[in-house]
Amino acid sequence: MEKALLKNYGNAETHKIDVYIAGGGYVALASAMKMQSDQIIQLVKDSGLRGRGGAGFPTGLKWSFIPKDPTIPKFLCCNADEGEPGTFKDRGIIDFDPHLLIEGMIIASFAFGASKSYIYIRGEFAFGAKRLETAIKEAYQKGFLGKNILGSGFAHDMYVHRGFGAYICGEETALLESIEGWRAQPRKKPPFPALSGLYGKPTVINNVETLSCIPAIISRGAKWFSSIGPEKSPGPKIFGVSGHVKKPGLYELPMGTTIRELIFDHCGGMSSDRPLKAVIPGGVSAPMLNANDLDTKLDFDSLASKGSMLGSGAVIVMDSSTCMVKTAYIINRFFSHESCGKCTPCRDGTPWLTKVLKRLEHGEGRIGDVELLERLCSNIFGRTFCPLGDGAVMALRGFIKNFREEFQYHVDNKKCKAA
Amino acid sequence: MVTVKINGKEITVADNTLILEAARDAGCEVPTFCYQADLMGLGSCRMCLVEIEGQKKLQPSCITPVLHGMSILTDSSTVTAARAGVLEFLLANHAMDCPVCDKAGECELQDMVYKYGPAKGAHAETKFKFHEKDYVLSPVIIKNSNRCVQCTKCVRVCREVVGVGVLGSVGRGDHQEETSFLKGLLDCDQDGNCIEVCPVGCFMRLPYRYKARQWDLKSADTVCPYCATGCRMVIEERDGVVVRARAQHGVGVNSETLCSRGRFGFDFIGNAERLTTPLVRKDGVLVPSTWEEAVAVIKENLSAFEGSRIGGVASPRLTNEELYLFQKLFREVLGSPNVDSSARWDSSGVEAFIKAAGMNEGGVSVFDCMDSDAVFIIGSQVSEENPVTDYIIRRISSGRRMNLVIASPRAMKLDSSAQTVVRHNPATEGALLKAIILTLNENKLSVSAGINAIKETKLTDCVASSGVSLEVIKRIADGLKNAESISILVGTEFLRFPEGIDGLDLLKDVCRKSLGKKLRILPLLDRCNQRGAWEMGVHPGFGTGYRAIAGRGMGTHAMLEAATRRGLDAMYVAGVDIASMYPDAGHAREALSALKFLVVQDMFLTDTTRLADVVLPSSAFAEKDGAFTNQEGRVQTIARLKNPPGKAKRDGDIIRAIGQSFERSFGPDNASLVFDEIRREAEMYKEVSLVFNNKRNIDNKLDNKEALVKASSALARGFSAWNGGAPSSEETGDYPFTLMTGNHLFHSGALSSNSASLSGLLRAAVVEISNEDADEMGVKSGSLVRVKGMTHESDMKVIVRRGSKKGVAFIAENFADTPVNRFFSRGRSGARVSITRLG
Ligand SMILES: Cc1cc2nc3c(=O)[nH]c(=O)nc-3n(C[C@H](O)[C@H](O)[C@H](O)COP(=O)(O)O)c2cc1C
Ligand code: SF4
Ligand code: SF4
Ligand code: SF4
Ligand code: FES
Repeated sequence: MEKALLKNYGNAETHKIDVYIAGGGYVALASAMKMQSDQIIQLVKDSGLRGRGGAGFPTGLKWSFIPKDPTIPKFLCCNADEGEPGTFKDRGIIDFDPHLLIEGMIIASFAFGASKSYIYIRGEFAFGAKRLETAIKEAYQKGFLGKNILGSGFAHDMYVHRGFGAYICGEETALLESIEGWRAQPRKKPPFPALSGLYGKPTVINNVETLSCIPAIISRGAKWFSSIGPEKSPGPKIFGVSGHVKKPGLYELPMGTTIRELIFDHCGGMSSDRPLKAVIPGGVSAPMLNANDLDTKLDFDSLASKGSMLGSGAVIVMDSSTCMVKTAYIINRFFSHESCGKCTPCRDGTPWLTKVLKRLEHGEGRIGDVELLERLCSNIFGRTFCPLGDGAVMALRGFIKNFREEFQYHVDNKKCKAA
Repeated sequence: MVTVKINGKEITVADNTLILEAARDAGCEVPTFCYQADLMGLGSCRMCLVEIEGQKKLQPSCITPVLHGMSILTDSSTVTAARAGVLEFLLANHAMDCPVCDKAGECELQDMVYKYGPAKGAHAETKFKFHEKDYVLSPVIIKNSNRCVQCTKCVRVCREVVGVGVLGSVGRGDHQEETSFLKGLLDCDQDGNCIEVCPVGCFMRLPYRYKARQWDLKSADTVCPYCATGCRMVIEERDGVVVRARAQHGVGVNSETLCSRGRFGFDFIGNAERLTTPLVRKDGVLVPSTWEEAVAVIKENLSAFEGSRIGGVASPRLTNEELYLFQKLFREVLGSPNVDSSARWDSSGVEAFIKAAGMNEGGVSVFDCMDSDAVFIIGSQVSEENPVTDYIIRRISSGRRMNLVIASPRAMKLDSSAQTVVRHNPATEGALLKAIILTLNENKLSVSAGINAIKETKLTDCVASSGVSLEVIKRIADGLKNAESISILVGTEFLRFPEGIDGLDLLKDVCRKSLGKKLRILPLLDRCNQRGAWEMGVHPGFGTGYRAIAGRGMGTHAMLEAATRRGLDAMYVAGVDIASMYPDAGHAREALSALKFLVVQDMFLTDTTRLADVVLPSSAFAEKDGAFTNQEGRVQTIARLKNPPGKAKRDGDIIRAIGQSFERSFGPDNASLVFDEIRREAEMYKEVSLVFNNKRNIDNKLDNKEALVKASSALARGFSAWNGGAPSSEETGDYPFTLMTGNHLFHSGALSSNSASLSGLLRAAVVEISNEDADEMGVKSGSLVRVKGMTHESDMKVIVRRGSKKGVAFIAENFADTPVNRFFSRGRSGARVSITRLG
């Protein structure tokens, strides 16, 4: 498969606009500018592109919710907060192919009439933020941004907004709060951002990878895109593989590649001869799968039917040496540390889970701890304000479901079975 | 309208009604922590989760609107389990120090756990603690974050209602703490609304700390004794000492809010300096005496003078019943027409103000005013004089589109809610209003006859004297023209400088008659019963209910003037410190000293009581029954909670005793009988309802219009417009600042200086200047300066106010040690001062 997203990954030159243009860059923008905006939205709908930020919401549909009234200012926000542990795919695009993202963003903005766009980039990505800023400057110089873009009369400004170092900033409404200068905490929905988003105006929030798919869809067509991978969940997808594999890293593969293919055909197999124990298929919120699930396809629907999710496509591979209690503790600690504090079940529930897990890990388990964890999980799940709390529970439930006996072993023997 | 089923019961409610409200309408209980009707919806505590048929997840009813056909369960087993789960989480890190918590017994967390909680919490881990000891945030606020339920009502009330945003959330997850930067309350209004909305014992009153258990308190529903917003509050006492004042959600115009004076200023009641026995001057000194002797001395002396040579001034903080009796005593017993209720306002200015503001047209609800398309506030430092009116305006204006215009020389907090902010020169409200009228006229409007009165006035002169650009004036005029309904909120600056009143009168005419607008005028007054004092007829120009009277008497100005000329022999002053409030200290003192006989009744020794021949110890609002009429014309009762200290008596009883020493039948005998007589005497009060439903209600019915006074046909005709002339233009060279005065946010009149809590917030006078002047002079807030006027000079600290008009200085009027009235002198409108930096 010819790469669409990572074709310039690792290239030391492609972040420069001239190199990008020489490689066929900004041609898609020029063709898009000749289309009607509705045509572009229809094209994206036809491609079947679903959001790569985690929820897999159809992108064309999201854009079509934006009111058509030209007198209302509209915004596009690119979610480059990339905070989910295990996830590092957006960075691959930002660092090596910033213009791919920018081109996608200009086309998107043109499609639904956004006059301004913001790239909300994770605070730690200082290098990427600089790259983007330079690239945006170049795009202005070439007339791809600013007033009267490519003579079309369309005007658009783009800004980089550096984040403030919290996972919750990646939740789309918290991201909006953060851009507006408030504390990043999720907003209630409705109203949905499409009607009342940034500064109360219609706003689309899309992930970096989602937007980076747009230029290829314009130049190669919707059919090309939808023919890759499963019908309901098509397209190229970046998988970020980490953990006990020989060659961890980013892989652009068709949606629907199986876990087995990914690990053994592309990543060179396990890093040692210890057998695979568990796989987290989509970032730490995604419930884990075990060695029996290796033929599961990596796409939105296949994973959902297995009770897990594709999420951000961050695949974490663990071999038999991994302690599930310790891993669950570390992951849960992340969630309780990142809980924004807004709603009770997540704010006070996840730290409680962490404290119990910590005790278990440190050989201070008490009888009934596993049941307590399960009870707390049900008091959190489905009752939180945003999906962060649910994510913490889904992750932990995945661990307990697959490796309950290891947890019980920690309670009974005050030590680990795996080690 | 949509129809939904709640626990099987069908109910029809308005579109967009929240499930929570619909459920409560249907009589189903839904517990909440973070929900409050007037604050931004949050949906964070998850106490109010309900089950909606067909939806997998429970939904927060406080932010979810009903949809037609929804079937909602508020008490299914899933819902009750979720509530118990939330409570268990809230208790996980909770301090559990209920035995030593001031909130115990009235804590929402306690109540909820009692009702909905798990019998036993399973949390057996180490609790997270924010701090070991409670920390003091300000002289009146102390905080314990370990008890917090993170509802952020404190943060929201501070930002959305008080409008300062001193509080915010710091930290994340279970480390999130609602506090202020560096744990200090810079720029805080010290109103304690954060305390009031806090469902648990996090924000607490410092003065109330460890004073009482809630169940030991005896309480009374009453009205705040400070400004004329007329906030309803509950005061509570233990062992005869009033220890707390609080507001109630859904009760009174103020709902859950009060300002610093209301919430903390009640402690003057228990001040050890209260007068407890009558004093009679013997051989030149005031010595303790008995009521019999004091009354006898009064009777003997007053009998010796002709009625017309006796004057009376009664405080606008007395009740309607007391004020009614006071004027009755003068008019019917002593045969004197000389009564007034203020040492600060000129009585003919008052008369013109009442006419211009249309006060005899009946009560005007502030909520109705806020329903207008355009709201114009002029002549009022509303954020400080009427803080809760400021909250009401902020709250309503943020929720609906209206054109809010604020005109004041000084910047104020409410400016941020306004579409247009106007900085005019002090005391030029009239010129500004006339400029607006002339602009309306210029736009070829048909105008009423009244406009002839200013035909000669030149727009350019008005513009120049107001110091406002023509462009801004035009913008205001356009705003008025484009509005169908207009409300003008007019403040005490018109009473201090009555020159502006004819402009107001005219604008009223132009709006109503020429432009055909629906116009309301709401006076913003700074003493709790100022309107009542006028309506009871404590004024030399009219009787009870603004009724015309035969001969015009003397007002305070005229009385003092007459006293210095030996044209007045005696005065009876009830609760007014004339010597320190009259805008010419030297003259007031001289006049009072020239009297042959002076009776003063007060709670404290004041500059005025010190000059008296007989001093009568009187009572605080918490010690009596009666009614106040607020600025809107809302008549509200106060209730007795305790007895006056020592031999002090209620003001009404004192007036009655003096009256009865002349005429045995003088009365009526008690407050309620007096009010019946008021109903008979004043048409406006005839049908006013004194019944106040103090029950909490869910829909915040704050606007009890039955309590508003009705229109009176009695009047308007006898009223004279102000003809006191224009402000004297003065040499400005040596004295570059115009001095303004009025109330401070923490202080109002003599009352507040006797409150330890309020004095703790601000003890000494400060002079406020604009940032422009401060920068020029190289001073900062806190720098020491010398303020020098023609008659007086004084050193004090400066406070810089961003956005105030250049060349304007402000000193509050209440500080005994820095009596601002020494800067003023009769016959000169306003005062000019110079300010120089010291050190
Ligand atoms: C706690 C939390 C963190 C999230 N972090 C990210 C993130 O870092 N990057 C991202 O693209 N989406 C993130 N999301 C998902 C976004 O809310 C949103 O769904 C997404 O940006 C939409 O873009 P898409 O339609 O292109 O997928 C997060 C969601 C949650 C609840
Ligand atoms: S679930 Fe609640 S506390 Fe957790 S991050 Fe979302 S809103 Fe914040
Ligand atoms: S007292 Fe008032 S201004 Fe101060 S923090 Fe509390 S709510 Fe805010
Ligand atoms: S301090 Fe009180 S009002 Fe503020 S969040 Fe905590 S519990 Fe709520
Ligand atoms: S009251 Fe509804 S979530 Fe708090």
